[in-house]
Amino acid sequence: METLNIFVKSIFIDNMVFAYFLGMCSYLAVSKNVKTAMGLGLAVTFVLAITLPVNYLLENFVLKAGALSWLGEGFANVDLSFLSFIMFIAVIASMVQLVEMVVEKFAPALYASLGIFLPLIAVNCAILGGSLFMQEKAFPNIIQATAYGVGSGLGWLLAIVGIAAIREKLTYSDIPAPLKGLGITFIVTGLMGIAFMSFLGIKL
Amino acid sequence: MKALRNYLDKIKPNFQEGGKLSMFHSVFDGFETFLFTPSTTSKTGVHIHDSIDSKRTMSVVILALLPALLFGMYNVGYQHYLAVGQLDATSFLTVFMFGFLAVLPKIVVSYGVGLGIEFVVAQWKKHEIQEGFLVSGMLIPMIVPIDTPLWMIAVATAFAVIFAKEIFGGTGMNIFNVALITRAFLFFAYPSMMSGDKVFVRTGDTFGMGAGTIVDGYSGATPLGQIATAADPSVAVVDVLGNPIGTWDYFVGLIPGSIGETSTLAILIGAVILLWTGIASWKTMGSVFIGGAFIVAIFNAFGGSAALETSVWDHLFLGGFAFGAVFMATDPVTSARTETGKYIYGFLVGVIAMLVRVVNPGYPEGMMLAILFMNVFAPLIDYIVVDANIKKRLKRAKVTKA
Repeated sequence: METLNIFVKSIFIDNMVFAYFLGMCSYLAVSKNVKTAMGLGLAVTFVLAITLPVNYLLENFVLKAGALSWLGEGFANVDLSFLSFIMFIAVIASMVQLVEMVVEKFAPALYASLGIFLPLIAVNCAILGGSLFMQEKAFPNIIQATAYGVGSGLGWLLAIVGIAAIREKLTYSDIPAPLKGLGITFIVTGLMGIAFMSFLGIKL
Repeated sequence: MKALRNYLDKIKPNFQEGGKLSMFHSVFDGFETFLFTPSTTSKTGVHIHDSIDSKRTMSVVILALLPALLFGMYNVGYQHYLAVGQLDATSFLTVFMFGFLAVLPKIVVSYGVGLGIEFVVAQWKKHEIQEGFLVSGMLIPMIVPIDTPLWMIAVATAFAVIFAKEIFGGTGMNIFNVALITRAFLFFAYPSMMSGDKVFVRTGDTFGMGAGTIVDGYSGATPLGQIATAADPSVAVVDVLGNPIGTWDYFVGLIPGSIGETSTLAILIGAVILLWTGIASWKTMGSVFIGGAFIVAIFNAFGGSAALETSVWDHLFLGGFAFGAVFMATDPVTSARTETGKYIYGFLVGVIAMLVRVVNPGYPEGMMLAILFMNVFAPLIDYIVVDANIKKRLKRAKVTKA
């Protein structure tokens, strides 16, 4: 039950885009049409779903204060948490390499349309954010950490696909020239944030 | 009518090219086409000849809003005189006049600010004046509590008209319902004036009318507010004087609440007008109610708190649910546009409205946010429906080829 709560919460209530405004760069840049947005959203979800459990294990068995005590008594006082940023990023970057190879092999059209933003998932703040939030929330087991990762990814996917559909519709709108493109996207994102506030404060 | 036509024809040259008032041509044009159906037709391209245009559509919606508005005015007076303990000694007309005078400034401010911005933008972009604000401007005063200060309505209306409508290109191109953005802006910017038990019943006088002291035992909490804060699942909902009220009172609507939303009866009259003239989609409207009823039935099965155990009918009649379902979810611009999409859109609006109302402790009512939330995803629903249709047809094409 707790796992389900974390899952639902990370999609709607603690949405990466609308609650924390993370992962904005690719959210803004790759949301011109729904198909590409869907591809990137799935890639982000996949990377989050893999990196969170891996980082969870790293955190709990290597990095945290006293995490190394399984090696022996002498390691009980070792605190490697200053290494967490670099370790997390290393895991994320290697996962992104994997995703890139898979996408290039099986969906070359998507690979072409995602362009530089596919390798840049490695520095997508939503993904590092996921790992750091996981560290901060100190989940009791790996299943909850994974649920959090998948949920955050799906929340981000929902956001980017939603804005992509809106932007496709906005093609027919008569937007003042200075606001065309990114300007209007920022405003729409703000208004979407208001709509997502409907879930703010729900306690599961 | 004839005299009006003649007068318009007389002053028309002033507004045409070269006339001394030509800078106001769009204002004149707006009024003229509002009063009389224009006789001009498209000269090129394919077009459908129909007596209905968006100005006529908007007029019908205004007509459908009138029962709820008039009832709302009466209810404002009714709640006030009930609170000051003078209801029996006051005539029907006085009660109505109190409400009328209390609501009128809000309508004037909302139209003044909104149409003012519309006129300026129309002049600046050299457009015709768009008629969409006719309905939004009427909706805004109907969905706020009676004691909302006028300057707040002005600020929120200006924000919504500029940032939710004009920058998207005006009527027909907005993504979010303008009236709901106004309400959401008020709700999040001035939360203390938008909820609680102080704002839904006017206890002071209106222009010196109906002054009096509040009777003992008065409480201005709305039924939904009482349900949301009740500790005991079997809460007895009471009116402002503490007398118990039930499903029938919720339906008729002599209860505290935002101005136009309390009476499901008056809203249903509006719904009949909208459906009979074919202006609103019965698919959207019906599926909102079905979605709401569906999720409340599930909540009832679980039970455990006052909001969870309130019956399906009560939930459908209370708060802004019926008003939102009839007048706001059916907005043809911001709701889903595909026929299948309307069912999905409406159903989800109903479900989310009840979810927010029941599950979220922060908000006693969720209709506004539910519709805004689905406004966000309406284009996505349309996209998926269209895409599924394309795929289906592609498959059929392949079968015949083989």
